[in-house]
Amino acid sequence: MPWSKKGKLLIAMASGIVGFIFVILLKSTGVQGVQTVRADTSIPSLVQTEQENQLMANDNEKLRQELSQYKEGQNANLLANQQLLKAQINAGLNEVKGSGIRITLDDAQTFSNTNNDPNYYLIHEEYIRQIVNWLWNGGAEAIAVNGQRITSTTEIFCSGSYIQINGTRQMAPYIIEAVGDVHNLQSALKFYFWDRLGEYQQQYGITRRLEVPTETITIPAGQLKKFKYAEPVKGG
Amino acid sequence: MRKKVLAVSVTCVAIALGFLISLSIQTQKDVEALDLLQSQRLSSVKNLLVAAQADGTRLKEEHNNLMLQLDQARNQGGTSPELQAQLDHYQMMDGTTAVQGPGIMITIDDRQQDHKTVFPLTTDDLMAISNILKFAGAEAISINGQRIVAPTAIVMSGSTKLINQVPITRTEGMPYEILAIGDQDQLVDYFSKLEATGLKQSGISVSIVRKTLQIPSYKGSYSVGKGS
Repeated sequence: MPWSKKGKLLIAMASGIVGFIFVILLKSTGVQGVQTVRADTSIPSLVQTEQENQLMANDNEKLRQELSQYKEGQNANLLANQQLLKAQINAGLNEVKGSGIRITLDDAQTFSNTNNDPNYYLIHEEYIRQIVNWLWNGGAEAIAVNGQRITSTTEIFCSGSYIQINGTRQMAPYIIEAVGDVHNLQSALKFYFWDRLGEYQQQYGITRRLEVPTETITIPAGQLKKFKYAEPVKGG
Repeated sequence: MRKKVLAVSVTCVAIALGFLISLSIQTQKDVEALDLLQSQRLSSVKNLLVAAQADGTRLKEEHNNLMLQLDQARNQGGTSPELQAQLDHYQMMDGTTAVQGPGIMITIDDRQQDHKTVFPLTTDDLMAISNILKFAGAEAISINGQRIVAPTAIVMSGSTKLINQVPITRTEGMPYEILAIGDQDQLVDYFSKLEATGLKQSGISVSIVRKTLQIPSYKGSYSVGKGS
């Protein structure tokens, strides 16, 4: 051994110090990591609260305007009638006409490969729900599926061989019509599910067709809904 | 010869040691500076959050006040009761009025737990849940305070779920609280049979409570009737 006792001792001490410093280095980096996470968790709730506040402020502004109209001595019935018309349109009780897009979904006509799950050859409720969801996200004004207006309480529910929409039985082909900005509606469809339906079309032969008709699209009016359980909250 | 080897190795170790010590001091300094920055940022975010929450409470009070004043103004102005009833009816349909009535409260916990794997709830699940509740005849639905209306879209934006364009992700308490007004028996029956079973298989905790509820109004905008 070429090492003296003193040398060994020195090396041992040095290794000890190196190890110690290394641990400190690691530790401080670790603390840094934890800190970053902690700061970030309160940011989403901040964004959320601010957004809710914004909406509430807008709502209050509307109320204030209405109130000032009353104070200026406007005819109360006239105001109520204006609001009624607006609520009627929003609730989907009026027919809507305009430019828009039409999507056709249909089951495959033949089951080419019996080894595959037959579900791949059929149109399911999720497909329709997803498309409707993304059309709303794209700013659609009104949507109907097979002539059924989509309202706040419309269900799109598969009950075996048919899909129930607004309490009516609907079967393939499903025609989804939406009125709105044609460009926005088309870009709204650029989501993963639309692409997957395209793949199903190629592999299994379902129909996924997008049309942008030149003529105006008419979305029929929805039904008046009767309320048995809910009642408006006064002053809330 | 031996001394030379020793001298060289000790020098090497000394250089390495010096280098490491300086690096350590440097990192320590950086970390301290970062710590300070982070804590400043954290406290500023917290301050902003507290301010925003206070703002929210103030706005809500203002809202209630305005609604009361408006009701009075309407009564004094002589709006006919039939007209008012029809307006209430339409506004319950478009969701622009808050509603109350018997219903169910569903709380869903998809946070990770130590003893089992949990598959977190997706936007698809939320869509399916609101669809089942509509199928069960729900007259009004809200998810984490967002009223579900016709133009409601449920989408992901990064890691945040948006409903009515508002983030619904919660950092405290139960991750999801879903309210529905309607026939309680039917709501419980349909939801537990058609949806809750599947969620529970994914390790998610679901609880359903029957109670009298208030569901907030839709505060977003309607685009129908604006263009075309």
